[in-house]
Amino acid sequence: MRGLYWIFVIAFQVFILNHLDLSVYLVPQAFILLLIRLNLGNSRIIQIIVAASLGLLIDLFTATPGIHTSACLWLIVIRMRLLSNQDLKEHITNKRPYNISVTTTSQYLYTLVTLVLFYHLYIFWLESIGAVNPLKLLSTVLFSSTLALMIIGIFEYLSISKSRV
Amino acid sequence: MQRLLDFIEHNLHLILFAVLQLGCAFLIFGLNPFQQAAFTNMLSGITSSSNQISADITSYLGLKEENRLLQDQVASQFKRSDIGTVRYMNDTIAIKDSSKQTLYDITPAEVIYNTSYKAKNVFIINKGTLHGISKNMGVISSEGLAGVVLKAGKEYSTVMSLLNTNMTVIPNINGQEYYTKLEWDNKIPNTMKVSGINKLEEIEVGDVVQTGKSSLLFPEGIKIGEVLELNEVENSQYFNTRIKTATNFRNLDYVYVVINKQAQILEELLEE
Repeated sequence: MRGLYWIFVIAFQVFILNHLDLSVYLVPQAFILLLIRLNLGNSRIIQIIVAASLGLLIDLFTATPGIHTSACLWLIVIRMRLLSNQDLKEHITNKRPYNISVTTTSQYLYTLVTLVLFYHLYIFWLESIGAVNPLKLLSTVLFSSTLALMIIGIFEYLSISKSRV
Repeated sequence: MQRLLDFIEHNLHLILFAVLQLGCAFLIFGLNPFQQAAFTNMLSGITSSSNQISADITSYLGLKEENRLLQDQVASQFKRSDIGTVRYMNDTIAIKDSSKQTLYDITPAEVIYNTSYKAKNVFIINKGTLHGISKNMGVISSEGLAGVVLKAGKEYSTVMSLLNTNMTVIPNINGQEYYTKLEWDNKIPNTMKVSGINKLEEIEVGDVVQTGKSSLLFPEGIKIGEVLELNEVENSQYFNTRIKTATNFRNLDYVYVVINKQAQILEELLEE
C-alpha cells in the first residue's frame, strides 16, 4: 500500500507537476513529502540511501543529473536535525511516519515550511548557478514553495482522512 | 584505533552523506552543461586569482634581488658619470681619448638598522672593512646625502645619519657655498636647520641644496635637500632657514658608500 502511495506521488510529480507550465515561477516539488513523512524509526543510513535513491529517480525523469539527489540528501540531513529537537521517542519506537498527528501543529508546520523552502531554494539556486538573478530566484522559491505546500497539505489531508475511515 | 572505529561507526551516515554529495557534485558539474560552464568559469576565476597571488608573492620575494641589481646599476652609472671626475689637460702627445679619471668609487650597501627619531641618529650598513669601507667615508642614498661612516667593522659599519646633532654639512645653494652649518635640531622629521644666511642673499623656498667643493667625503652636486622655509627674524640680518632633506630617513633601505680613492693624497696635501 505504501509502495503504491510512493508511486502515485512520484508519478504525480513527474507527469503532472513537472509539466504544469503555468509560469516559470511555479515549479512545485511536492514529492519531497515522501522524505518529510519518512518513517521515524528508520536508521540514519537508511534515510540517506532512500533520499539519494529518490533524488536520483527524479533526476532521471527531469534530466537534471545530481541536482535533486544532492537536494534530497541535504533535506534528509536537515530533517534529522530538526526532528532531533522534537519529542518523538514514542513514535520512533512505533516506526510511525512523520506527520501532523505525531507532533504539535506548530512544530510540524515549522519543519514542513523550513524543508520545503530550503529544497526549492537549493534546487533553483543550483539550476541558475553562475547567472543568479536574486529577485527571480526569490520569487520562484516563494511561489513554488507556496504551491508545493498547498499540494502537500491536500495529500496530507487525504492521507489522514483515509486513515480515519 | 577503537576510538577511530567508534567515531566512524557513530558518524557513518555523515560519511555516506559526504561521499554521495561528492558524487552529486560530479554529476551536477560534469553532466549539466549550464552548471558545467558556470563551474568552469568559477574555476578559471579561482585559477586567475591564485596565479595573480602567486605572481605577486614571487615578484615580492624577487624584490630584494632586483634591488641589489638596481644598486649595482646605479653604482656603475655613477662611476661612468661626470660627478667627481678630475679632468687632465691633453698634452701635445696624442694620448687616449679618455682623459678623465674618477676620483670616487661607490659601493652599494643595505641598511639593516636605522633610527630617525633620536637626537643622534645612526644607521648600520651591511658593508665593512672587508668591502673597502673605512671611517669618515660619505654615504648617499638614491635621493641624496645620507651620512658619514662613523665606525667600520669587518662586515658592518655604523653611519652617522644626516639627522644627527653632531653632523654638520656646508651647504651649496644655487651654486654658492655658505660657510655656515646645516644641522639637525631634532625638531621636525627630515628637516634641518641652517642659520647664518644673510637676508640679502637671493634664495627662495624650493631652491636645491647640494654638496659643494669644500668636502672630500662627497662629490660635488650631491643633493642634500630643498629650502623649505625662509623665516625672517626681527632685528637680525639673517634668515632662519629650514631645509627638507632629500633622503627620507624613515624609509632608508639601500645606500651607497662613497669611497674617495685619492683621499689620503689629498689629505696629505691639505695638511701641508
